[in-house]
Amino acid sequence: MLKERDLVAKVPKLTVSRLRVWVNEGWIRPTAQDDDGFSEADLARAALIRDLLDDLGFGEEEVPVVLNLIDQIHGLRGELRCFVETIDSLSDDTRTEVKQKLTVRRAKLYRTEP
Amino acid sequence: MADDLYSVLGVSKTASGDDISKAYRKLAKKYHPDLNPGDSAAEAKFKEASAAYSILGDEEKRGKYDRGEIDASGQERPEQRYYREYAGGEGGQQYYSSAGFEDLGDIFSDLFGQRGAAGGARGGGARNFAMRGQDANYRLEVDFLEAANGAKKRITLPDGGTLDVSLPAGVRDGQVLRLKGKGSPGSGGAPSGDALVEITVRSHPVFKRDGNNITVELPLTLAEAGLGGKVEVPTIHGPVSMTIPAGSNTGQTLRLKGRGIKAKAGTGDQFVKLQVTMPETVDDELKEFLGSWRDKHPYDPRSKLRVGT
Repeated sequence: MLKERDLVAKVPKLTVSRLRVWVNEGWIRPTAQDDDGFSEADLARAALIRDLLDDLGFGEEEVPVVLNLIDQIHGLRGELRCFVETIDSLSDDTRTEVKQKLTVRRAKLYRTEP
Repeated sequence: MADDLYSVLGVSKTASGDDISKAYRKLAKKYHPDLNPGDSAAEAKFKEASAAYSILGDEEKRGKYDRGEIDASGQERPEQRYYREYAGGEGGQQYYSSAGFEDLGDIFSDLFGQRGAAGGARGGGARNFAMRGQDANYRLEVDFLEAANGAKKRITLPDGGTLDVSLPAGVRDGQVLRLKGKGSPGSGGAPSGDALVEITVRSHPVFKRDGNNITVELPLTLAEAGLGGKVEVPTIHGPVSMTIPAGSNTGQTLRLKGRGIKAKAGTGDQFVKLQVTMPETVDDELKEFLGSWRDKHPYDPRSKLRVGT
């Protein structure tokens, strides 16, 4: 785990006061506010928020919208990964059957798209 | 690294600093790795654009680049660890949102009898429902004698676990054994599913089977068939001694009571089909004997074939 100042030192153009604003907004949620509360994921998330604000031209209003969408995508990817890994653990026969049915399903899905 | 940084950003060499920033921002929004999780092509494009912008976005460096004092690979940005690398692993789950695909989460639950990793995090809608675990199907090939006499077998499962199967004596080819509670675990306090084990029984070179009865073909010498006597006969429980009556013939069947399969439902018998067998070579002595015997004791074993002709 990282202390607040360690995290700030590792992300260029980040200051303690900026980080605290982001934590207050709930964009970053350290497990403990005081010491050692930040994970590597929090560090990378801070770098992302800095990119959004400094380089990509998003404002303070838009950042939570973007983060929300990203979090939804990762949640969805997590669910999907569970799903795929579960299918992976099945017997060869079952996996082949799932694969075939999935192929048919996906063909339908993309045909109905405009 | 691209040779021409201007073409990377899609601007002309005379573009203003503002135009360059705008062009970079447009590309960055499109290709930022955290906006394209799982897409490595996007990451490559983003890095290319970032590297170009790190030179062209800086008046001083841009001047050096234009004068040829630094090349396109001039200054690389330090490697940034993108959020997406963490979002999928340890520590990332706390930000997972299931808003907007609660319905999908429920589909997974229905399928697997448990809520997926992201489900409970923020959705708050985790349902508490009970569902019996799924049945698991397996196949097990066993030897004839194992099936006939019963045996303990162990199946190695795809996940490395094992499943002990107790074969009852007399289990049939194609029979499915149900092992209660050995399938997938249930959820919400519901019982586990069952393991269904389909048995394939290998054939045996000596024993054939009809229900719980066993059939064996027993070759006899001419003398054994003619004179009778004690002969050793294999059974599924081991060899036994059987008395052959004098004058036995090919095709006759003798019964060894209770020497078949000892199944729960009852014990079968073993049927011994006799097969009178000539010696491999008929020597002069036998020829001579049969010749003189034939002349004194003529008989017609084919008399019945001529009925009605």
